[in-house]
Amino acid sequence: MAIAERVEKPPLPPEPPAAAIPLIGRPDAHRRKLARLGWMFSAPALVVIAVVTLFPIVFSVVMSFENVNVTGSGYQFNGTTLGNYNVILNNQTWRYALGFTVLYTLITVLVEIILGTAIALVLERLTHGRGWMMALLLIPWSLITVISAQLWYYMYDPSYGIIDRILHALGFGNPVILGTNTSAIIALMVADVWKTTPFVAIIVLAGLVMLSSDVYEAAEVDGANGWTTFWRITFPLLRPTIALAVLFRVLQAFGLFDLPFVLTQGGPGHATTSLAVLGYRAMFQDLKFGPGAAVATSTALLVVLGCMAFLRVFKAQVGSEGN
Amino acid sequence: MALKKTRHGWHRYINGLTIATTLTVLFVILPLLWMITSSFKGPKSIATSDLLPNPWTTVNYHEAFTHYSFSRYILNSVVISVAATAIVLFLGVMAGYALGRLPMRNKLPLMVALLMISVFPAIAVIAPMYLIMKQIGWLNSYQALILPYAAFNLPFAIWILRNYFLGIPKEMEETGRIDGASPLRTVWSIVLPQAKPGVFTAGIFTFTACWTEFLMALSFNSENNFRTIPVGIALFGSQFTVPFGTIFAGSCVAAVPIAALVLIFRKSVVSGLTSGAVKG
Repeated sequence: MAIAERVEKPPLPPEPPAAAIPLIGRPDAHRRKLARLGWMFSAPALVVIAVVTLFPIVFSVVMSFENVNVTGSGYQFNGTTLGNYNVILNNQTWRYALGFTVLYTLITVLVEIILGTAIALVLERLTHGRGWMMALLLIPWSLITVISAQLWYYMYDPSYGIIDRILHALGFGNPVILGTNTSAIIALMVADVWKTTPFVAIIVLAGLVMLSSDVYEAAEVDGANGWTTFWRITFPLLRPTIALAVLFRVLQAFGLFDLPFVLTQGGPGHATTSLAVLGYRAMFQDLKFGPGAAVATSTALLVVLGCMAFLRVFKAQVGSEGN
Repeated sequence: MALKKTRHGWHRYINGLTIATTLTVLFVILPLLWMITSSFKGPKSIATSDLLPNPWTTVNYHEAFTHYSFSRYILNSVVISVAATAIVLFLGVMAGYALGRLPMRNKLPLMVALLMISVFPAIAVIAPMYLIMKQIGWLNSYQALILPYAAFNLPFAIWILRNYFLGIPKEMEETGRIDGASPLRTVWSIVLPQAKPGVFTAGIFTFTACWTEFLMALSFNSENNFRTIPVGIALFGSQFTVPFGTIFAGSCVAAVPIAALVLIFRKSVVSGLTSGAVKG
């Protein structure tokens, strides 16, 4: 994913490697031989990817148009239908889950980008210990999401959770944090921001470090203050890096599953039921594989469409800067 | 700029920069410290918000490994993650080398297709995978996770490795060719050592992804003997009691190896996270 931006840059090194190789015998034959070797080398990987990922993706789309019956030892398809999509489109919970997932993605990504950029700007100024700070930021990134979900669940506990205690001390009474819709959604977002902001900060920091210091010196000579320098110089130069971080995070956030599944179990009620949680529940708890596949397929479709739209906009932006 | 002014007295130590850095460190580290100290709290102390365990006890660690099958979860996670990473690196090096250095046609569409696959949400494929595995009797087995983990992490690994292979000077290979080494041998003993950082990056990303994956592990391997660490930790306890102390003891044990790995290879991780932004 990190390479999203590369794809959009057409001038891949056009010079074919074979051209530089001292050719023995007829050039064409040698080239063809190397190309054949290339396919031989990549075939095992491509076959594994095709069988294990592409096939289920296609299967999933087919399944979303079928009446699926799961039996003790396997499954049966009992005729083609549009019913699965009908079921989800007319379903209040699906519509809520769609809205929730979109809203959740927008808010968490926005907060994480702002905080992550702020942290990166601070770390960039550090002269000592920047390496250690980066290492520290990597720890939440490497933590199993389920673990962070359990940890926050414990800290949100209404009778002895430390966060509950802190809120009490600050005069918020005795809130049952995971018990009401709004506070549960905020609590979920806070846990997400804690785990993923460091990841955004590292990407932005790496982008910052690459910027040339000449531009800053020029700004200093011109007497620009810190705020102006950031908006006029740093931010435009950082835009590709930030765009990449946004793409990364949006894709991840849209598939949100681990955190609500463990931290809030999708509740209270359906308040934190994301599309992935809904699809999982439909399939593995209610054994409604048809509608479940419809939820899953529509989610995947939204992700792919969003990704393509994003790359389009982003490409246009890069193009206009290039002039 | 403000930074270049000489600072005197307390201003040298307490300024916006150090305050912001300290806040960042606290924000990241306090929840982690809370997890570590809570793992040493006994059954009474865990149900309080006391800052430190009173008394300190290792009973939770004992519980995790005796009363619960945490050692089994660790074994499962290690076997599955190591096997999937090995497969990804072996197949990924070959494909990355081919796509980076050999004159194949239609490379770009292929690379874009790989990219699309690597962003596909797992929820979209678990239903068909589950049904197929049910039919061929793979549910609750190691291969039920090794194969999907390998396949879903291959595209990103191929991308990273390809980028590294692109940057290696071509003269190296020519020497091998002139010496009459076989293509496989050229890759293995001449090109691969040059691409070592790329292999580390791809390896650590794949391993971390396998180690933390939850949705597939929960769907395919829910039987106690085949649970990985995330599934084990999510399903610890019963509906009525959540044994937080034991959960955190297990969590600390699970977090230490991966945190150590990430800290040792932090340069590789950072370069992997930013390979698009920096090299693009």
